[in-house]
Amino acid sequence: MSHDHDHGHGNVLPSYYKVFGALMLFTALTVGAAQIHFPASMGQTGVLINLGIGLLIATFKVLMVLYIFMHLKFDNKYLRAFILVPVFLFIILVFALTTLETFHHPF
Amino acid sequence: MSLALDLRHEPVSGINHGKLVMWIFLASEIMFFSGFFGAFIVLRNANIDIFTQSSAEHLNVALASLNTVFLISSSLTMALSIYHLERNNKALFQVFLGITLLCAFGFLVVKYFEYSAKFHHHIYPRTNIFFAFYFLMTGFHGLHVVGGIIPMAWMFVRSFTKKGYTNARRVEVLGLYWHFVDLVWIFLFPALYLLFPTLHP
Repeated sequence: MSHDHDHGHGNVLPSYYKVFGALMLFTALTVGAAQIHFPASMGQTGVLINLGIGLLIATFKVLMVLYIFMHLKFDNKYLRAFILVPVFLFIILVFALTTLETFHHPF
Repeated sequence: MSLALDLRHEPVSGINHGKLVMWIFLASEIMFFSGFFGAFIVLRNANIDIFTQSSAEHLNVALASLNTVFLISSSLTMALSIYHLERNNKALFQVFLGITLLCAFGFLVVKYFEYSAKFHHHIYPRTNIFFAFYFLMTGFHGLHVVGGIIPMAWMFVRSFTKKGYTNARRVEVLGLYWHFVDLVWIFLFPALYLLFPTLHP
């Protein structure tokens, strides 16, 4: 049960630095990916890829912050469940961005 | 035969109260921002042209990226400051809390320049529906940054007094709040600045 305490067991510093590096990398990726404009011939697929990449990256970033920086990984499982439910509802909500009305319009 | 309260059947969580209360507050905060995001998504998709044009022509992605770097860095230094306070490394606690504060102020300074550039171009919340959302969402997020700076500055200043600041539990709870401010920005940044793919090259 070495994960019952959020400190005092092993060294958390390397994981802090790794998460920081990953967050920076993902930020660069998401800004870069947003500059890619898919040709109009791709239609809705291009839009979905563009939005999907951005939202997936944001989801990964949020989970890393929650699990490592906010210690959810090491916390009581009930607390973890309590917070992950609204977080996942929120993430589902944000993915509704991809339900763009242009679905109904031919390009 | 003891008169002491029998706790055997009481549901004891074992979670520090301050931490538990902060998590409950943060869960309610998720709902608070969900309202904004829900309304934003519905109205964005109904007014996609206004949203795409306003975001692409008037928002500064470079400044927002810089702000993202400020918030991510401050999240790291906040976690590091707690780490060192728990181990009684007073000087390192002060250094990292100080950097966290600087990043938080840096965020607000960048936000100030962003807002002034908008006002300079006569862009206000009433300009169009996109900017109504832009000012509301970044405004409330900015208020959360200010709300984090106040207790953080208090702890920082206290740590230089004779008594010092030693309550690692409390800094940890503030840290949870501070990471949440970062979380909101992680979704706000792409939603307002990035995710407006143009359909025609």
